[in-house]
Amino acid sequence: MEMDLRILVKENGGVPVIELGGELDAYTCSRLRDTMIEVIENGNPTVIVSMLKVEYIDSSGLGTLVGGLKRASESNGRIAVVCTSPQIRKVFEITGLVRVFPLYESEQEATNDLKTKVA
Amino acid sequence: MLRKNEQNKTTKGQVEVPEEYVLRDELTWLPGEDNVLIRLLKESMNKVEVAYIATYPPTECGIATFTRDVVTSVAKYTPFSSHMVVAVKREQEIEPYERIVHYQIPRDDLPSYAAAAKFLNQSSVDVVSLQHEFGIFGGPDGAYVLDLVEKLEKPVAVTLHTVLHDPSPGQRDVMMKLAELVDMFVVMVRTGRRILMDNYGIDPRKITIIQHGVPNVHRVSSMSVKRALGMADRQILSTFGLINRGKGIEFAIEALPGIIEKHPNVVYLVLGETHPGVRSFEGETYRNSLLETIDRLNLHDYVRFNNRFLSIDELVRYLCATDVYITPYLNRDQIVSGTLAYALGCGKAIVSTPYLYAEEVLSDGRGALVDFRSPDAIANAVNALLGNPAEKEAMESLAYKYGRRTAWFNIGVDYLDLFHRLLMRRKRRAQVEAAPTEQVGTSS
Repeated sequence: MEMDLRILVKENGGVPVIELGGELDAYTCSRLRDTMIEVIENGNPTVIVSMLKVEYIDSSGLGTLVGGLKRASESNGRIAVVCTSPQIRKVFEITGLVRVFPLYESEQEATNDLKTKVA
Repeated sequence: MLRKNEQNKTTKGQVEVPEEYVLRDELTWLPGEDNVLIRLLKESMNKVEVAYIATYPPTECGIATFTRDVVTSVAKYTPFSSHMVVAVKREQEIEPYERIVHYQIPRDDLPSYAAAAKFLNQSSVDVVSLQHEFGIFGGPDGAYVLDLVEKLEKPVAVTLHTVLHDPSPGQRDVMMKLAELVDMFVVMVRTGRRILMDNYGIDPRKITIIQHGVPNVHRVSSMSVKRALGMADRQILSTFGLINRGKGIEFAIEALPGIIEKHPNVVYLVLGETHPGVRSFEGETYRNSLLETIDRLNLHDYVRFNNRFLSIDELVRYLCATDVYITPYLNRDQIVSGTLAYALGCGKAIVSTPYLYAEEVLSDGRGALVDFRSPDAIANAVNALLGNPAEKEAMESLAYKYGRRTAWFNIGVDYLDLFHRLLMRRKRRAQVEAAPTEQVGTSS
């Protein structure tokens, strides 16, 4: 199967980053859901989801992020999304989800902003 | 002779489709009953109510299927907006439509068109998306649609499924009047825009390109699907769609002896029923002529028909099993082909005649173009692909990459973007038109 979803969990300045690559769609989104649950349940309710290497996202992918936000917010956490692809940003903007998930240009920018808001 | 494992799956040249290769196309916007989250989403997400005017399933035609795909893909990104369909139907049809169909226009009943416009004007609809093909609307050259569009007070985007290079005077007249009345034409390839500009003089700012959508298919090895179809030891060629003379299937059948010579395990699947419109005036004459060709060339073991309207899942399964997809179509001016778009979306090696749509989407190595009405050219192109797996794989990868951008989830975003732009433009225009009145009022 081509265009699968690649997932790497790492940290940036103490904030967990779920780095995605490939396609986040109906075929692959359950893997992101499982990863988000694992990260959040390990005591990290605020998560950066890096989509710098994501080529496409569909409504199932968006729904998975919303599900992650639900879990994160139960522990007063947040989900920040990093993406620069015009196609991906268009999806967030055209749906209005840009008002739910703050979009950042880089993981560092997201980390700095999240830390400022926590402080 | 059919091989033993095929006999379980086939009856009289028809193929059954296994269930395990189904499309995954899910939506999980609102997990659980979280009112706070739902309120946040409701307040944050954009809303736009769209009415779609077109034929609609269960009517069996490409535009009906297309419309349902657009409706579904846009709705997935707008969970807090209501959408509706105004279905155009032939008068004798009594369609058990889905609930999304709020209004019906009997195709040949002129007063119904104005009544539909009135219904939409009084509704909460923000934008109207109309699918245009000359045959789906009543009147000479489908002119009744003008009565509807003329009276609509909402922004209208018209997706053109046919852009005629040399229209009749009546067809040109309908197109030119539509161009005056609507906010935007949508075409699916650059060639469509060029014809509208060059041959009709339509303002390019009034034309946008949104490609034909395709199902969300991740590539699987064709062998795994063939196994499930009981055809693991065959090399599969296929053509699908509503069968009619314009498909040129006889030329692909006549190409088979030249292919079988080099690839004796080949089988050609012709998938789909005769177009209902064609069946109503000539019955199964065309299909019977294909059967005669098969008889004449003694190809019974090499051609299979599946004579019914196939679901998207079924089509995708057959496409996934296909080694070479063939569109031997005869009409040079054909500006879109849903079946060819689907084959690209499934990452298939494609052999096609150079009708306008194929010429554009199969450029840059995404397919092999062959002369019209040439069995020899089809045979040579198919043999070249079947005999060179590396070349076939390269073509498949290029096709898949191109087709991926056109997955319905991407095309849904493009349509939603268009609807928002039209809505915003209409609002801005209303503001501008209101502004001088206010100034006059202030100065006086």
